[in-house]
Amino acid sequence: MSRALRVDWPACKARGLCAELLPEVVTLDEWGYPIVDREVDDELLGLARDAVRMCPRLALRLVDG
Amino acid sequence: MSTSPVAVCEDPEVLAGPWLLAGAVDGPGLGAHLARYGETPDTDLDDLLAAVDATGLRGRGGAAFPFATKLRAAAGGSGRPVVVVNLSEGEPASSKDSALARTSPHLVLDGAVATARALGARQVHVVLPGDRPLTTAAVDAAAAERRDRRVRLVRHVAAPRFVAGQSRAVLELMAGRPNLPVTAWTPEAVAGHRSRPTLLSNAETWGHVGRLLHSGPPRGLGTDDEPGTTLLTVRGPDTVTVREVEYGAPMRSVLPAEGESAVLLGGFHGTWATVQDARELRVSVTGLREAGYALGAGLVMAVTECPVRWTQRVVAYLAAQSAGRCGPCLNGLPALATAVSALDDGEGTRRVSDLATLVEGRGACAHPDGTVRLVRSLFASYADEVDRHGAGHCAWARPHVVRRLRSVAS
Repeated sequence: MSRALRVDWPACKARGLCAELLPEVVTLDEWGYPIVDREVDDELLGLARDAVRMCPRLALRLVDG
Repeated sequence: MSTSPVAVCEDPEVLAGPWLLAGAVDGPGLGAHLARYGETPDTDLDDLLAAVDATGLRGRGGAAFPFATKLRAAAGGSGRPVVVVNLSEGEPASSKDSALARTSPHLVLDGAVATARALGARQVHVVLPGDRPLTTAAVDAAAAERRDRRVRLVRHVAAPRFVAGQSRAVLELMAGRPNLPVTAWTPEAVAGHRSRPTLLSNAETWGHVGRLLHSGPPRGLGTDDEPGTTLLTVRGPDTVTVREVEYGAPMRSVLPAEGESAVLLGGFHGTWATVQDARELRVSVTGLREAGYALGAGLVMAVTECPVRWTQRVVAYLAAQSAGRCGPCLNGLPALATAVSALDDGEGTRRVSDLATLVEGRGACAHPDGTVRLVRSLFASYADEVDRHGAGHCAWARPHVVRRLRSVAS
């Protein structure tokens, strides 16, 4: 089952770690905020969980896609 | 800070209507309400669900979400449900919820209180508009006339701000936090106020529930697909009218009689239509959606200014109304406002389109999406006028139009 990465926008302060940990799924816009432009498939699930856990603002969640 | 291109109007002309506004001529008191409708019949949840299913009632706050779906979710959730009447009406151009509350407040409260009883809820939270003192006074007066031992009315006053009426912002207000949107991880009907199932609808929606409980379904009104009526705020350059129309009614019967005007459907988060196209439309949530327009919270405005200029002013206002919490909205809406302004210099069409794509879907509430909807509709309905501005001209600045407006004004 595919999962989706969702951003808690009021919590996100553009630290950008997610794009470093998971460039396959997350890029940054011109202000440094994440653009999530694809779902998280099985082989990226571990990295996605790391990104969720390591976000300094705890602003990411994995939800059912 | 950019101000709204139109001021809040709390005292519009209110035309009596066939259904919700039938009692608008009676006065707002409980005595007049009881003389017309009597006591609210007790209803259980199954009967209420059957009734709202049969009429296909949709929310009237702008999103047109099916009321029965919310009601079912709230009834099936864990914990004692909470009912919320959202009267915040954050869209400055809209006057229909406040008009309903000022003319028939008890119909609105009947719908919410009867639903609360059917759900076993003990509290109905009433969220009043901070920038509409007459409405607040009218609802307070109506609440003071009522006695209900099982259901308590709890009063809140929303901040005078465009996004304050968004459902999650209302829940924040109820929780004693700043009246601003936050991320919704679950629908509020499942887990809202204090994690309880929370049935939040706007005043007009509750008015329809109230009338349905008193009178049964609205027979002979509306279409098979969309039974019943809807309230509209109809704004001309110098007039504000709240009226009730049947679904399926021709838009031409609603439009203010302004020859050379652009038509804004659905308000600041809505869509532009040329007056020629608008005359061919019908008042319908689904019909307008299929045609690429939005009825939103029921606004129909005839704008005699240039739609490009007007969009520039509205987007600047909406950018200033951002709660400033979500990065894409905080940064993207001012950038979008700048790009829309730069259309006058022959720049920015590409930038506008890029920013619209960048902002859309990236926020805790629908504010960025609504702003993008308005900007995109300018390009869909007035692409020629956008091009003309890029070349340094404006068809709306023609002298005869200016003269005609002066003669209307004098």
